[in-house]
Amino acid sequence: MAPTLRPGKSRWRGLGQLTPWLLLVAGLLMVRLSKGAGFTDAYALLSRPFWPGPAQREWVTAAADLEERSRLQLLEDDNRRLRGLLELRQQGAEDGKVSAAVISRSSRGWWQQLQLGKGSLQGIDQGDAVLGPGGLVGRIASVTPATARVKLLTAPGHEIGVWLPRSRRHGLLVGRGSSRLSLRFIDKDPDVRPGDLVATSPASTLLPPNVPVGVIQVVDEQAVPAPTAVVQLIAAPEAIDWVQVQTR
Amino acid sequence: MPRLHRQPICVASALVVPFLALASPSWLAIDGVGPAWAVLWLLPWALVDGPVSGALAGVALGLVLDGLNLGGLSQVPALLLLGWWWGRLGRRAAPIQRSLNLGLLAWLGSLGLGLSLILQLWWRQGGALDPLTQSWGLQTLWCEALITGLLAPLLVSLQLLLWRRRVPS
Repeated sequence: MAPTLRPGKSRWRGLGQLTPWLLLVAGLLMVRLSKGAGFTDAYALLSRPFWPGPAQREWVTAAADLEERSRLQLLEDDNRRLRGLLELRQQGAEDGKVSAAVISRSSRGWWQQLQLGKGSLQGIDQGDAVLGPGGLVGRIASVTPATARVKLLTAPGHEIGVWLPRSRRHGLLVGRGSSRLSLRFIDKDPDVRPGDLVATSPASTLLPPNVPVGVIQVVDEQAVPAPTAVVQLIAAPEAIDWVQVQTR
Repeated sequence: MPRLHRQPICVASALVVPFLALASPSWLAIDGVGPAWAVLWLLPWALVDGPVSGALAGVALGLVLDGLNLGGLSQVPALLLLGWWWGRLGRRAAPIQRSLNLGLLAWLGSLGLGLSLILQLWWRQGGALDPLTQSWGLQTLWCEALITGLLAPLLVSLQLLLWRRRVPS
């Protein structure tokens, strides 16, 4: 066929051929910007028949008793100290807790995250604390109407402020990829020893106060500028099928 | 000549990758680390459809997977380079179909992808990785490369067979 003498028409035809590809690129960018919301919602819909059943939930509830007991002890100590000094209003233990099934888990690979089967429709919001049997697991990083994504404490670089109830010292807990986290102290003499409980700060506003997080395993007192410690998490993310989200 | 990217069913097969990444079946993992599903899909695609299509498919897959993962590490650069490299291999040499070759290519691809992630982590932490992160990174790298290399002869061969039937060279 002879080449067309109307360059304008061929230009429009070329643009027409490009349109599907431009639409595809726009779609991919939308997926990237929406943080895969469509995929996660579709996955939640497809995998709903396989979500963990009520028996697992009862097991989790029973296993949470230990956490509740240590929490109670911490709260009593804390109340005794603060009563009469500060007028802190703390929420009730069961207020604003939403139980959610873990529908996708990536706790050992490059990305340490969980996907939950409940989202903003159930009141879950970005930054909410996620609790498993034993203590704090992570925080909500993003939500869709039907799902929520949890960034685990073990994720590399994930930092939260924590508190050592025995020595009443603060530290910064940093995720290192594995189930062992690194705890950085501010003081040069943090008075810490293996076996000490690590919990969230009693004055925390970002996280629920006095939630157990982990146990000190090893202390490196020679580290500079301040001692560091290795912390073993109490709640193991790889074995959790149900979590509780503390909504704010 | 019919091209793979012009066949909607072949393009749609890429949707399996994000869903497998979300499902992350625990029985297909070594020490909790699953295979690099993007590598297992991209390798046969690039071998059959060439470097440009391979690189574009790598970018597309990387964008979707980056959206699904937290933390800001990107798979796009590694998948782009892998798609381009495997596409050139498929165009220049005799058709690659031996199980060992496919397994080796997938193993190398998974290593490259993992190294790019470690490099980004190193960069973000100010040019230094602490010992705990180093040991975790190396363990994840080797586990992922191993399971990807082991699964590749099975899955990649099957995809090559199906796609080469649809696009005879």
